Amino acid sequence: MILILGLIFIPMLCAPVAYVIGRKKEKATEPFAMVVTAAELLACMCLLSGWGRDFTLQGGISVSLSFTTRHFHCAYALIGAFMWAMTTFFAKEYFQKEREHIGRYWMFLLLTLGATEGVMLSADFMTAFIFFEILSFTSFTWVIHEETKEAITAAYTYLFIAVFGGMVLFMGLALLQKGAGTLVFEALPQALAVSDHPLMVRGAGFCILLGFGAKAGMFPLHIWLPMAHPVAPSPASALLSGILTKVGIYGILMTALYVLPRDSAFGVVVLVLGLITMVIGAVMALVSVNLKRTMACSSMSQIGFILTGIAMLVLFESAGEKEGAENALTGLTLHMVNHSLIKLTLFCAAGVVVMRCHTLVLDEIRGWGRNKTLLKIAFALGALGISGVPLFNGYLSKTLLHEAIAEGAACFGGFSQPLGALLKVSEWIFLGSGGLTFAYMLKLFICIFAERNKDAKRQAEFDVRANYMSPLSGVVIFGSSLLMPILGQPFVSSAIAGYMTEQEVSLNYAGAFSWDSLQGGLISLGFGLIIYLVIVRKVLIKGGSYCTVSQLLSGEKEDGRHTKDGKRGGLNVGLSIVTEFFRIIDMGMDAPLQLLKIFLTKEQKKEDRHTQVYGFFGGALTGKRGEEHPIAGGFSFALMMTCIGILIILYFTIR
Amino acid sequence: MNPILLLVPIFIPIIGGFLLIPLKFKENRIRNLYSEAVVCLTSILVWVAMFTISREPVEVYSFTQGFSIDFRLDGAARLFAGMVSVMWPLVMLYAFDYMKKTTRKNMFFAFYIMTYGITLGVAFSSNMTTMYTFFEMLTLVTIPLVSYYESRESRYAGRKYAAFCIGGASLGFFAVVMTTLYGQAGNFIYGGCLNDGFDPEMMQLAFLFGFFGFGVKAAVFPLHDWLPTASVAPTPVTALLHAVAVVNSGVFAIVRLTYYTFGTDFLKDTPARDLALYVSVFSLVFAAWMALGEGHFKRRLAYSTVSNLSYMLYGLMLMTPAGLCAALLHMLFHGIIKMSLFLCAGAFMHVTGKSFVSDTVGVGKKMPVTFAFYTLGGLSLTGIPLFCGFVSKWKLLQAGIAEGGPGGLAGVFALLLSALLCAIYTLGISMRAFFPPKGEDLYEKDPGRKDANMLMLIPIIVFGIINIAVGIYPAPIVAFVEKIAAGLL
Repeated sequence: MILILGLIFIPMLCAPVAYVIGRKKEKATEPFAMVVTAAELLACMCLLSGWGRDFTLQGGISVSLSFTTRHFHCAYALIGAFMWAMTTFFAKEYFQKEREHIGRYWMFLLLTLGATEGVMLSADFMTAFIFFEILSFTSFTWVIHEETKEAITAAYTYLFIAVFGGMVLFMGLALLQKGAGTLVFEALPQALAVSDHPLMVRGAGFCILLGFGAKAGMFPLHIWLPMAHPVAPSPASALLSGILTKVGIYGILMTALYVLPRDSAFGVVVLVLGLITMVIGAVMALVSVNLKRTMACSSMSQIGFILTGIAMLVLFESAGEKEGAENALTGLTLHMVNHSLIKLTLFCAAGVVVMRCHTLVLDEIRGWGRNKTLLKIAFALGALGISGVPLFNGYLSKTLLHEAIAEGAACFGGFSQPLGALLKVSEWIFLGSGGLTFAYMLKLFICIFAERNKDAKRQAEFDVRANYMSPLSGVVIFGSSLLMPILGQPFVSSAIAGYMTEQEVSLNYAGAFSWDSLQGGLISLGFGLIIYLVIVRKVLIKGGSYCTVSQLLSGEKEDGRHTKDGKRGGLNVGLSIVTEFFRIIDMGMDAPLQLLKIFLTKEQKKEDRHTQVYGFFGGALTGKRGEEHPIAGGFSFALMMTCIGILIILYFTIR
Repeated sequence: MNPILLLVPIFIPIIGGFLLIPLKFKENRIRNLYSEAVVCLTSILVWVAMFTISREPVEVYSFTQGFSIDFRLDGAARLFAGMVSVMWPLVMLYAFDYMKKTTRKNMFFAFYIMTYGITLGVAFSSNMTTMYTFFEMLTLVTIPLVSYYESRESRYAGRKYAAFCIGGASLGFFAVVMTTLYGQAGNFIYGGCLNDGFDPEMMQLAFLFGFFGFGVKAAVFPLHDWLPTASVAPTPVTALLHAVAVVNSGVFAIVRLTYYTFGTDFLKDTPARDLALYVSVFSLVFAAWMALGEGHFKRRLAYSTVSNLSYMLYGLMLMTPAGLCAALLHMLFHGIIKMSLFLCAGAFMHVTGKSFVSDTVGVGKKMPVTFAFYTLGGLSLTGIPLFCGFVSKWKLLQAGIAEGGPGGLAGVFALLLSALLCAIYTLGISMRAFFPPKGEDLYEKDPGRKDANMLMLIPIIVFGIINIAVGIYPAPIVAFVEKIAAGLL
């Protein structure tokens, strides 16, 4: 109990200390944060070795805080702590020059750490929700950290979506509480079996999906993600992409496991949303010309992969196929872990680029990494991992997910049944998106590490041998990139997945690299290569520089840094139209008073706009009949007479 | 103790406040000491009374048979009086500094203190007649406060306020008469006090008149317009009276009307209740949207108050104990939150002399403490966990879902929509205050911190701390209110 509470609340308590240190003694902030995150990592390891125990903390809000030490929760808590520790070590160098708001950054970083651990270890939805909301608001400061115009726009969008997601989630929980009578994960299946509000529970499930989906970057609520991740400082982007999206996934997974485990409609919705997210993310990544934006969109796409896994889990459960469900669960768990670690490497590598080049536009950083071997290898390992190349980690999880979909298609009757047909189509979309992943990672790698810059002088600057990252950062980036091939070995992944899902997982070389399994991966990679050669090389590169679609269409070269966002504008217009509508009603409400004024006073001059808005009707009336004679008597007397009159009329009409 | 002693806390502030007018203190310090002493004494007496006086009603004066002035200290009265008695002394501190530069301070504080007594009167009254009497007095005694500045807008606001409130009370008078005739002299009894022998349709009409009549003070939709206009009053008035005392008297009157007079058994499933429910649901979205489009800082908060008062009315109109519990909790918590928001807005206006939302860009760096607490209030009002606003919203949602039906569910959606709007209109301000877009920072040329002074900050900080403390550990208060809602207190 103390261990878990410490895990959550010690970083939170250290946060203000970090702020004070940041104010008083700037240099000491990073070491302090490193100590805290390293301690957190150690504590998580203790937790994993079985020191913790489930417990419930009686709270005041009709529901109490309760925590669990089931393997999945502990393992993800450990991954969270690991990512935090790694990014903190990397951040030491990253923030060496930019000291502005450093105390604030560390304060909110530690707060978010505590909240993330809280979500991951929670044993009921209420606990998860409370920490989820804390995390939403504390990670907001990461997005706005640099306080540039884009950062502020992104932060607004982020806040809007976060609040929206929180509210929808809130409603889902209220519905679930009513429908099931409990919010505890383990108790839910039993409670739901006897629940007499199935419709309400289904509504709750969809609300929770939407609420957590907002944080995960799921399709209709994904708009903040490609805006927010690129503007945050790189260590924070790694966390946003690697862990915070997983918090959303975690919530959706819990819903799929405990709230609507056998609801095929839920499965289909998640599947469709997952596919859309996957494709949109991949296409956006392919056409993006900004390094971190590409990776943010890539995160979105990978979230789509995980979502399809969740959908398959639900669909198999609904059909009673235990084995298929287990496979899907293994695949999606592995893909969550893999994606977290890959994004850690990639975003930290991007951080090095930002530190040295101060820009993320592909044309300007082109050729920068030609002679930087260590970074090149690390980036390559990450790229291979995420693209699903055999022997690297992404391959295993993607293959498992692909198999799950293929099995599902067979199980649901192939093209003869609507669901089977959908799954058949999904299978192709899945492979296609896998190909796109390979294509955009190839694009990034070739651009940064292989090609030469258009500007020969710039290339010469890049080629000067210099120390481009500190040994500590090197260890962090290279060390985490080595995990890709390690996790790519079936026995390692098998052990991890077996531990996390608490079920038998038997991956072996013969099975994982048999022709059947390799087929899907190879189709993907082949498709990706074709896409790269045809679309990226021939279409997206024009006049020797990388172009976005809008530049291609308009035919001119804009500054790639300023990404336009029409969505927020649209939102504003929508809001203000409704506001104006209501304002008119509000003016109308002023009419009785204006009428009164006509009858009771002579004063008919224009008033200050802030205190009096002329009534919609009242204004029209006063304009015409300004010089009415006053009638003696107070307001109250007159109104009372009016009321009595109305009463009499009403009384007689009712009778 | 003898229940007649309930009169003491009502009359001490009324007399003490009235004495300020003939006494005409010249020295600020003495006046402040005197005012604070009167208010603190009253608060102490209220708390003593709460622990010693039983629930028995006491008759003070009888006009004729059936019409009498009665007082009683039951659970709901304890809640309302307890809330007001904690807030008043704190806001007085704030008022001392805020009103420092104005003239006619004696007059201001006289009415300000008298209002305290009359609010307690509304809380303690035990039948319709008594409540109605104090309700009217409350209007009269606050008119001078609304039009205190004597500018053109102030006088207009005062007139508007008078017209709405007095007119509303006259509407409510019908309900008073009907309940006194048909309901055991209008005595408040949990579950309703109606006898047999009335025309149900007429009675429903009486309820609607009562709802809208007393609802004027609770700023229910068609009659809400006075509240934003009245925000020209000095901030202590807008904060304490127009976010807590006066408007909550309106809500409290509707609690009495619905749960203690007409009774939920009679009202439930009547068209009158449906109408009231839909009006409050509309009102809460409408006002939230108006707040979004409003540029004046205090007017924006006033619209937000309208929206939140409608939350309470929505909870009440669910006609279930859960709804009553949620509404009473929201009354308490919204009071705490809105108080702290208004005090922050007032501090901003007092320090910078500006009053529009567009003037707050970048002010967060200048007044960090004030705006930090403003942000906490905004988060709480939105309904983020760990703040007290979350607790009451959770309860409201639960009550709404449990009630079900088109009205209940419409309310649930309206609650969520308005929570979202609330986040935009409160947090939008803090966001621009702390993170001004490059080049738009209005306070760039004038760096250096300049928070409000201590007298103003103390109430802000205290309310902020209460906000969080209650949000983290609301159990005792929730348990207390649940007992009230079940009719046990």
